[in-house]
Amino acid sequence: MAVVKLLETHNAPLLARPFFQDGDPGPIVRALAQTPELLQAAAPLLGTIFGPTSLDPRTKEVVVLRTSALAGCSFCTTGHSAAALDAGLRPAQVRALRGDGDLETAFEDDRDRELIRWVDEMAVGRSGIPEAVQSPIQGRFGDAGLVELALLSGVTLLLNRFSTALELPVSEDTVARLEIEGVL
Amino acid sequence: MTAVSDAIASGAVGERVWFYANYHCNLTCSYCLTGSGPAVARRLLDPALMVELAFQARELGFRSLGVTGGEPFMVSHMPDTLATLANILPLVVLSNGTLFSGPRLERMEHLRGLPISIQISLDSPDPDENDSMRGPENFAKVVKAIPKLVDKGIKVRIATTQEEIGEEALERLCKLHRELGVPDEDHVVRPVISRGRALTAGMGLSAGVENIPCELTISADGAFWSPFGPTVTNGDLDLDLLISRTVNPLSIAANAAVGLATGTSAGADATLGIR
Ligand code: SF4
Repeated sequence: MAVVKLLETHNAPLLARPFFQDGDPGPIVRALAQTPELLQAAAPLLGTIFGPTSLDPRTKEVVVLRTSALAGCSFCTTGHSAAALDAGLRPAQVRALRGDGDLETAFEDDRDRELIRWVDEMAVGRSGIPEAVQSPIQGRFGDAGLVELALLSGVTLLLNRFSTALELPVSEDTVARLEIEGVL
Repeated sequence: MTAVSDAIASGAVGERVWFYANYHCNLTCSYCLTGSGPAVARRLLDPALMVELAFQARELGFRSLGVTGGEPFMVSHMPDTLATLANILPLVVLSNGTLFSGPRLERMEHLRGLPISIQISLDSPDPDENDSMRGPENFAKVVKAIPKLVDKGIKVRIATTQEEIGEEALERLCKLHRELGVPDEDHVVRPVISRGRALTAGMGLSAGVENIPCELTISADGAFWSPFGPTVTNGDLDLDLLISRTVNPLSIAANAAVGLATGTSAGADATLGIR
């Protein structure tokens, strides 16, 4: 159970109502609805970053899942494990990104390995990203791609801390699916 | 002209800004929207904030203020705060009228001559019926207090909240308020709204944003669509009519209220791709 009341359609504040009109918007929005003016400002940003952008969905899920796992966020790690499967990652790759399995074995591709090394520095580093890790990523993705990767991982960290601090509940359906697909 | 003053001029947003000064009360009326009583969470609104927001309200184009609760006169600073507010904009304060005796009544002297009216609840010309909703001795205390306030040069209005009132009872009530020095134009009869304790008791009319006019209302919990917004049901604050948690600067909530009232709220079409 979350430590704050997660609002529902019947008690959603006025500015939050549009986010409930298509049904349950999920725990992040239901928590943010407590501060509707902040939800109103945050929603377009989050929707844009996590929605379709110039980065392909698979790359984005590698970044988001790995960041969330390193941040120890069970809410985001669970949700994005399922999203990663949807984006085409294999169960063994999802397990490895979660810290359960060898990354080198699960990811044969240099692009993936470089990206994961970059995310590891981004998510837990205390200073700049080492040149040897940053350079290959900038080479592959360009300046705009690097900016988007940094924003994606940074905003994921924000949501990781938000979700962990508020103890947002993981979806039981998602957990059941991850068990069936051999991720858990 | 600001967007807010335009919306006030067009009637989309009410000209009054309401403050919920507090939520505690010496009474526990059966239909109380805020579920008030002596021991509830007080949710006090800082008087300095009220004054600051009143100046901002005037700047934005609002034309009057309202103070409600709870029973505002349970809060010791109230007569002085009301005097300060009434020097900024004309003011109505809602009261149960049962606390005007002794030093409290003397302090009401501070309000003499100011553009302020005290709206006191009186629900029936029959003491028993009135007191069955509002508590023992309520009728007697109110009937005693009103002429004293009128004597101090304070304008008194009377509000009657009833699910239904018969013509004969209404006539007797009007005769009574005239005798107490309150003219017909200062008597309002209003329905019970089914929120707070009235909802729990199965009383009153249901009302939502579609049929409650927008009158920006500030409480310790945020800015609401109307004074019918920050109600308390079974001890929980109702959030369905919350506009924003940010109340200062007032322009944030006022502009959001205008957006909602005129159907141009930013975000009305926003979608969020995360779950
Ligand atoms: S209706 Fe007014 S007087 Fe009665 S309990 Fe509520 S706040 Fe107090």
